[in-house]
Amino acid sequence: MSDQDLVVETVRDILTGFEPFALTAERRWDAGLWSALASAGLTGVGLPESSGGSGGELADAVAIVRTLAAGAAAVPVAEQLLVAGPAVVAADLTLPPVDEPLTFALGPAVTAHASDDGDGPGRFTLSGTVTDVAWSGAARHLVVLAAGAAGPVLGLIDVSGIEATSAVNLAGEPRGSLVLDDVAASGALLNSAQLEELKARYALTRAVQLAAALEQVLAWTVQYAGERVQFGRPLGKFQAIQMELAEMSGEVTAVTALTDAAVQAVERDENVVLAAAAAKVRAGAAVEVVARLAHQVHGAIGFTQEHKLHHLTKRLWSWRDEAGSELAWSRVLGAGVLADGPDGLWPALTRIV
Amino acid sequence: MSTNSLTLAPAPRSEAAEQVRAEVREFLAAELAAGSFTTHVDTWLSGVDPAFSRKLGERGWLGMTWPKKYGGHERSAMERYAVTEELLAAGAPVAAHWIADRQSGPNLLTYGTEQQRQELLPRIAAGECYFVIGMSEPDSGSDLASIRTKATRNGGGDWVVNGAKVWTSNAHHSHYAITLVRTSPQDTANRHAGMSQLLIDLSLPGITINPIRILDGGHHFNEMVFEDVVVPGDMLLGEEGNGWHQVTAELAFERSGPERFLSTYPLVAEFARRVAAADDPAAVATLGRLSASILALRQMSLRIAAALDRGELPNIPAALVKDVGTTFEGDVIDEIRRVVDVTPSLDSPDPLGRALAEAQLHAPGYTLRGGTNEILRGIVARGLGLR
Repeated sequence: MSDQDLVVETVRDILTGFEPFALTAERRWDAGLWSALASAGLTGVGLPESSGGSGGELADAVAIVRTLAAGAAAVPVAEQLLVAGPAVVAADLTLPPVDEPLTFALGPAVTAHASDDGDGPGRFTLSGTVTDVAWSGAARHLVVLAAGAAGPVLGLIDVSGIEATSAVNLAGEPRGSLVLDDVAASGALLNSAQLEELKARYALTRAVQLAAALEQVLAWTVQYAGERVQFGRPLGKFQAIQMELAEMSGEVTAVTALTDAAVQAVERDENVVLAAAAAKVRAGAAVEVVARLAHQVHGAIGFTQEHKLHHLTKRLWSWRDEAGSELAWSRVLGAGVLADGPDGLWPALTRIV
Repeated sequence: MSTNSLTLAPAPRSEAAEQVRAEVREFLAAELAAGSFTTHVDTWLSGVDPAFSRKLGERGWLGMTWPKKYGGHERSAMERYAVTEELLAAGAPVAAHWIADRQSGPNLLTYGTEQQRQELLPRIAAGECYFVIGMSEPDSGSDLASIRTKATRNGGGDWVVNGAKVWTSNAHHSHYAITLVRTSPQDTANRHAGMSQLLIDLSLPGITINPIRILDGGHHFNEMVFEDVVVPGDMLLGEEGNGWHQVTAELAFERSGPERFLSTYPLVAEFARRVAAADDPAAVATLGRLSASILALRQMSLRIAAALDRGELPNIPAALVKDVGTTFEGDVIDEIRRVVDVTPSLDSPDPLGRALAEAQLHAPGYTLRGGTNEILRGIVARGLGLR
């Protein structure tokens, strides 16, 4: 068994003790699961030990995120391991303890003012409203992309004392807003390429989660079709159902192949923005087919909270337009493949991943 | 990993493939500049140009993965993948040699006799010898096991063939047909028994090739009629009675390549030129979505090339790619129509209008040829354990 398989096994073992539940105003996230993962060192995987992480590769962190996404785990691990944590480390800022949830947000309406004279990692104060904060209320720290006088700023703030609005996504995952009023931040200036790559990594994070959830929804649907008997036969014996499951498989396979390739692009640090854009767009496009057919095959029970299917389909419907909507990333990719001119499409398509 | 698994391992990066890709790209740019061909949609069906095929043969881009002793070049499936997708993306005239290079050659390598290999493979690799697929019949489409074309042994040990094969693409330009025939009577208990493959020289007496025109009036399809055609006994391919198994193996090659999602790529390329010239966010987004689909299909198809390099015959993943890819080939048409004001016409002065017309008139074929998508989904369902 590889190290990565071992990590995945550990996450699966932990998940068996924490069934997914419908998120409510009283219970917005799974604090118990987070503690269990943190105790096992899993909330620091892929982050260097010298920064307080658990070490390991990006691929290990991706494997953890995939496993948790497939389990509809209500914890900010994806944000911490795949975007916010690596961003803090890359910017040479001090990584908060990895057992305290760290999340990520785009802050188009947040401004950063330098509060010291340095132009490297330094101190800033942040002001403005940051919206769509994943796991707001649960996360202790936030990495936010703000606008500074000298260009974009990556700001790291402690948000434990800042009240968030109660907005949630379709699955009930917190996506609240925070009003920042001269909040002290450690931070670093970003060049525009770094800014775009961080946005892309956030999008790829959602693509990784989408890929894993799509695979799980397919697996659940195949299993259900094998068990549910109507007209004296399991549903899966009907050609009409077989056609639907095969169509779902095609979508899932396409998403997995492209998402894996995009993760490898990040590992190689090549074409990160367009690779992530493509993965996010393709994964989002698959959601329509896979979620629709999964519900169709599951019938009425899948349309209720009594069946587990909704934990993932509601996440799919939200994640596809988070971290930049499918439309926004389609435009990024469409413009990106034409960057070398009107005849540049094919060279771009064979270069991106 | 099981060859019947739906998902395959990611393809490794191949520097050799990128090297040959650059060479092919340079060659194609020069050929286009010299006017030796013009770009069209679906040229692996309609673009017959023996001179072009011979040029590819001279450069070592046919029979790429085969042993050198048979005229091959002992290169990887990943390198061959790069060459084929460059040719398709350019809309180059590759139909003459396409079937021979893609599946007849590999079939001969696996099942052919030494004499058959030595005689035919070097000529295929040179771009001089073309093959047609003899599978479907007037009464046997998706239900291939119901074929009736019959071959019986005569006193001299030769085969006497009677029957008809249809949708035989470019039979009128081909030298040989690998023909699935019944060599024993139909066995209702085992429908897949009693079939064999014969290598039939199309110049033999008793063979009539009649054109069947497709929607745009093009002559690519034919009906091949066999009337007491005497095929030498040594032209049996593989084992007598093993035809079904051989055909199934051949289909892994037939179904897995980039021609299963790039048939309409020249239309997408023309659309991209239009998008670049305009300032239309909706069209840019459409180009982004189409690009994401192509990038995903490339990764799926590359995984199959890598599996072929590992010596696997990934039938089920090949069926899956072909289902998704051929659906995409048709979807492209309407995605583009929705964001560009253009009228499809083969006579259009606008290259986009012409490409759209070509793509539209060929569209019904994408999800039929090489196994209908319904048949493919049945294969996928078997891979899911449902059948």
